[in-house]
Amino acid sequence: MANVQASPVATAADEVALSYPSPLKEFWQGFSHNKGAVAGLIFMIAIAVSALLAPWLAPYNPIEQYRDAILAPPAWMDGGTSRFLFGTDELGRDLLSRLIHGARLSLLIGLTSVVMAMVPGVILGLIAAFFPKVLGSLIMRLMDIMMALPALLLAVAIVAILGPGLINTMIAIAIVALPAYVRLTRASAMTELNRDYVTASRVAGAGLLRLMFVCVLPNCMAPLIVHATMSFSSAILEAAALGFLGLGVQPPTPEWGTMLASARDYIERAWWVVTLPGVTILLSVLAINLMGDGLRDALDPKLKRAA
Amino acid sequence: MFSFILRRLGLLLPTFFGITLITFGLIRLIPGDPVEVMVGERTLDPQMHADAMHRLGLDKPIYLQYVDYLHNLATGHLGESLVTKDSVWKEFTTLFPATLELAVMAMLFAAVFGLLAGVIAAIKRGSIFDHGVMGLALTGFSMPIFWWGLILIMFFSVKLGWTPVSGRLDLAFDIAPRTGFMLIDAWLAEAADPSLNAGAFKDALKHLILPAIVLGTIPLAVIARMTRSSMLEVLREDYVRTARAKGLSPARVIFIHTLRNAMIPVLTVMGLQVGTLMGGAVLTETIFSWPGIGKWLIDAISRRDYPVVQNGILMVATLVILVNFIVDILYGIANPRIRHAK
Repeated sequence: MANVQASPVATAADEVALSYPSPLKEFWQGFSHNKGAVAGLIFMIAIAVSALLAPWLAPYNPIEQYRDAILAPPAWMDGGTSRFLFGTDELGRDLLSRLIHGARLSLLIGLTSVVMAMVPGVILGLIAAFFPKVLGSLIMRLMDIMMALPALLLAVAIVAILGPGLINTMIAIAIVALPAYVRLTRASAMTELNRDYVTASRVAGAGLLRLMFVCVLPNCMAPLIVHATMSFSSAILEAAALGFLGLGVQPPTPEWGTMLASARDYIERAWWVVTLPGVTILLSVLAINLMGDGLRDALDPKLKRAA
Repeated sequence: MFSFILRRLGLLLPTFFGITLITFGLIRLIPGDPVEVMVGERTLDPQMHADAMHRLGLDKPIYLQYVDYLHNLATGHLGESLVTKDSVWKEFTTLFPATLELAVMAMLFAAVFGLLAGVIAAIKRGSIFDHGVMGLALTGFSMPIFWWGLILIMFFSVKLGWTPVSGRLDLAFDIAPRTGFMLIDAWLAEAADPSLNAGAFKDALKHLILPAIVLGTIPLAVIARMTRSSMLEVLREDYVRTARAKGLSPARVIFIHTLRNAMIPVLTVMGLQVGTLMGGAVLTETIFSWPGIGKWLIDAISRRDYPVVQNGILMVATLVILVNFIVDILYGIANPRIRHAK
């Protein structure tokens, strides 16, 4: 009892010590602790800005062909001109402009396919968690089947049906990414369902939709956000792979993977045509994965040890 | 143990039927009917069209068509390629050893270097080596492997001339396929006729090295990361401290006491990489003109050779679920807790 009586004196100091930082600040502390994540974030902001401002930033039209400067080397090489900073490709198109415009496509494909996979994935996962008997096992069996096919092969099969193109690339990548969201949502929702707060709101008369989306879902968000970041980077890789195989975005649209499809023929005389689009893909994917690591540290300490 | 295998088998069958549904639906979902797809752009006489539909059983209700499809699969009829007129099964079995050889070498490369890098990184935690390995692993994990292949070709084949650009063997050699594995075939041929086939084995190895590295890069990164984190976990265990305290040599503690226990999650991850390998084989084989399943499927798609696409995908998917099934069983054998879990 003595402690309780003594407490008023210490309240002010306790309050300072116990007052938690705002969630946003706490998140940033966790995130910025990871130097790689911050570097990834900065790189991605740069890519996003150049994607948004592509028409103004890019020096040339990305599909305009300068027939007088076919396979011009980058500016810093012998024979390079400051006219084309990163050189030109086999049709005399400015590489820098194509890379900047390609960022638009890659980010667009990544974002759209993440949303297209996440929304139905979360809904299906919640349904599977709330009705585990019939509906749940049906959904999970279906997801197992989709998981049995290698991701790229499934995407290739889907594009073989739908035909190549930007929209179909997004659809294929979203379908491939769907099962992971369903599984993740179901698993975290199942653990949440056993918690007292869910029982409490159920007893208080919360409806099914309220239980699903207002009570349970917000508590499952941390792993979902981390996974969304990772699937964003694999979406960019898969889009580029499909483009490389000639099944994705079609030329002359400047997509990073599509740019590499024809590059194989110029391995011997124009390294920049081969190297630069690939470096751009690699750095973007790496940056997003670094960010994902940082997000995991900041949002979900439980996941920290998982590889 | 027997009931455990039966239970896993019970999970396998619905998955297999689901995949047959997908590959069955594949052809039906393509815009335009299959007959038009097969003859190409030409306009077809309506009577001939109806005949072809009847001959192929396409005028039956859709569920009967599916039953027919399953019946064909069960009796081993996987259809014929529209281009070569060979049976899909024959093409698959001819090309599969090439993919298997590539995948095995890639996995070997990934496992050896991944384990080694992971173990050393865990022992020297926080050192420059550790940071370097983890940085490289994340880079490898983010690698667009089709580009990685191009870069390696550019450097090692074109610039240095160390390795050939594509294919499995130099055209100067004429080696009869016996096992389908070029390394073994070349070795056998060289042993049988040393004067004619001198250097065939070395040539086959040179052809294999770059594709195997490219295909093994992502598994390598995954294995290195997994080994490191699993090692770090086991190194904290009491029995490791006990082993150290009783004066065992560091090598014995690391390789016998720690690594063996750290291997379980690593083995699971390796099993999961089989799917990645099959997906990656599509890209790797395309870059290196490696005559395997992946290139076969992509070529079939671009030639609109739908029977090959349909049942080729079915074969690959079946293969992946079979491997996962075997991994599951092995896991159950290794770990009784999984075997007896509900």
